[in-house]
Amino acid sequence: MFSFQLFSQLLVSGIVIGSSYALLSVSFGVIYATTRIFHFAHAIAYTVASYASVTALAKAGLPLWLALMVGLVVAVALGILIELAAYRPMRRRGASTLALFLTSLGLTIAGSNLIQIVFGPENKPLPGFPMKTFAVGAVTFTNLHLLTVIVSWVCIFGVVVFLKKTKYGKATRAAQSNQQMAMAVGIEMDGVSLLVFMLGSVLVGVSALLFTLGGVASPNMGLSPILIGFIGVFLGDRERFRRSARRLRARSGYLVVRSVAEW
Amino acid sequence: MLAMTGQGSFFGKVMSRGAQLAAKQIKENGGPEFVITIADHESGLVPPAVTGVRRLITQNKIKTLQTSYGAPSEAIIPLVQDNKVLTFNGGGSSPGQLSKDYLWMTRMLFAYDPTDGALTWLAKNQPNVKKLAVVGTNENGVEVWKEKAPRIWPQLSGGSIVATEIHDVGATDFAAVIARVKAAGADAVFTVSFGDDLGYMVKQFREANYEGPIVGIEFTDQAAKVAGATYDTYVFATDYFDVESKNPFTAQFVEAHIAEYGEPPEYYGSNYYEQVFVIWELMRRVIANGGDPQDSAQLQQALIDKPEFYSVYGGDEGTVGTMSFDLNDHSISKPMGVFGVKGGKPYLLAPIKKVSASDDPASALLG
Repeated sequence: MFSFQLFSQLLVSGIVIGSSYALLSVSFGVIYATTRIFHFAHAIAYTVASYASVTALAKAGLPLWLALMVGLVVAVALGILIELAAYRPMRRRGASTLALFLTSLGLTIAGSNLIQIVFGPENKPLPGFPMKTFAVGAVTFTNLHLLTVIVSWVCIFGVVVFLKKTKYGKATRAAQSNQQMAMAVGIEMDGVSLLVFMLGSVLVGVSALLFTLGGVASPNMGLSPILIGFIGVFLGDRERFRRSARRLRARSGYLVVRSVAEW
Repeated sequence: MLAMTGQGSFFGKVMSRGAQLAAKQIKENGGPEFVITIADHESGLVPPAVTGVRRLITQNKIKTLQTSYGAPSEAIIPLVQDNKVLTFNGGGSSPGQLSKDYLWMTRMLFAYDPTDGALTWLAKNQPNVKKLAVVGTNENGVEVWKEKAPRIWPQLSGGSIVATEIHDVGATDFAAVIARVKAAGADAVFTVSFGDDLGYMVKQFREANYEGPIVGIEFTDQAAKVAGATYDTYVFATDYFDVESKNPFTAQFVEAHIAEYGEPPEYYGSNYYEQVFVIWELMRRVIANGGDPQDSAQLQQALIDKPEFYSVYGGDEGTVGTMSFDLNDHSISKPMGVFGVKGGKPYLLAPIKKVSASDDPASALLG
C-alpha cells in the first residue's frame, strides 16, 4: 500500500545521500575525465582528510572549523603527492591505463593499512558539531543533512562555474575534450593534471568531513563511498561527463536513481 | 583466523591481543610456548578464510585453531575436520556451527541464545510495545530474524512483527531502514546487527526522532563511540564481559591487559584469552594421562571427558568463574544479562539464561 509518509521520508533521505554521492562522483569524475586515470586512491584522500581533522581537533586542540580546514589541506596535499610521485612519472614512461589503475589500487591497499598501523583500527570521532533534528510533518532530517545537501551542491555548482567561466577551467575542458589538440594550442597538460587532482581532492575531502561530522573516522571508511561515487560517474556517462554543461543533469539523474533505490 | 584487515579489523586486534597475552602469561609461568600464527579473513570473507586456514594447516602445521565470524567459520569446517584441528569460536558463533566435530563455541550463540531473555525483558518492562520491528544482516543472527523472533514475540507480548529490515554488513546509512520502520508503526526495534553498524543505527534512529526502545544483542566501545550520547538509550542482551568483575581470573587478566596494552580488555578479547587457557588445560590433562598433547583428537577427547573450564565470566571475589561445554551441540553456557547503557558504559538490568526451543521463552528472564 502506498504511504505518503514513507515516500516523503525516502525522497528526503535519497536527496541527502544522493547529494553526498553526487559530490563524490564529481570529485572522481573531474580527475578521470581529464587524466583518464581510474583514481581508486581517492579513497585514501577521503580517509586521510578525516584523520587529519580528527588529529587536529583531538591532539592539536584546534577549534572544529580549523580542524576541518586542516583536513581539506591534507587531502589536497595527498592528491598532489600521488600525482607528482606516482602517476606523473609513470605517465612519462608511457604506462598504460591498466598500470596506472593497478598503481592506484596498490596505493589504496597500502594506504589504508598504513593508516591502521599508525592510528589503530579503533574508530575516531570528530565531536563538536551541534546536531539538531527538524521535523516537517512526519519527515525528519538533521541540520547536518541540510548542510550536506547545501555544501555538496554549492561545490558542484562551483566546479561547473570554474570549468565554464575561468581560464584554467577552460583549459581543463580542452584537455578533457582532446589532449593532443589542447597541447597543440599551448595548454600544459602536467599543470592541468595537477589542477584536477587538487580540485578532486578538495571535493572528496569535503565529502569525507561531512560524513565524519556525523560518524567516525576509520581506516577503511573511504572504500565504500568511493565505489558508489564511481557508479555515479558511470551513470552520468563518462563521455557526457566531459561536457560540464550536462553534468548537472547527470547528477540529478543519479539523485532520482538513488531515491528509487532507497524506496 | 581473525579479521585483521577490513571493517572488522578492530575485532581482530582485540582477539589477537587476548590470545597473545594468554600465551605470554602461560610461558612466563613455566608453561609451554604457544606459537600463535594469524590468518586474516578480511572481516568475514570466505575465500581468504579457506585459503588462510589451509595455509595454517599445511605450512604452519597448526594443532589448534581460534576462529571468528560466522560465514568464514562455517566455511572452514570441512578443513578442520579432515585435518583434525581442534577449533574454538569465541566470535561469530551460530547455529550452523553446532554439533560439528572438532568445532566448539566459547561464547553463547550470537544473537540466538540471548534473544529469549531480551524479548522477554522488553515485553515485561514495556507492556505497551506490541508492534516490533526486527533489523539484522545476512551475516550473523539470521536464524533470529527469520525464525526465532517471529515465533516468540507473539507468545511473549501478544503483538506481532510489523517490519523485518535487512542491511549490508558495514552499513553507515540507515535512513531507508528507519523510514520503513517508522512507516510500519513499530513500537520498538529489536536488532541483531553488530559492530559499528549498531552505533550508526541507534544514532540515526534517535536523530530521526524515533522514541521507541531499541534492543540489541551486542555492545562494543567502538559502536558506542559512533553513537555518542544516543547509546544511553540502547539496551542489549548478551554474555557481557565485565571488566569490573572480582573474579580472580578476570582481575588478573584485566590487570595484565592494562599493563601490556595500556587499556582494559574488551569482550571479544576476553573470549580468545580464555580459549588459550582451555587449550593449555587440555594439554595438561592429556600429558597427565600419558598422551600426546600435539594430537588434536586426544585434546578433544580430554574436553569431552571433562567439559568444565575456568572462565573470566561469572565468579565472584573468592571464586573463579567457570564455563561448561554442551557435549551434544558443542555450545557453551555462560552468564548472560540484559544491560542498559549509562555514560557509554553498560550496567546490568536483569540476568537471563539460555532456554531451548521447547521451553517457555519467558523463563529466560531471571530478574
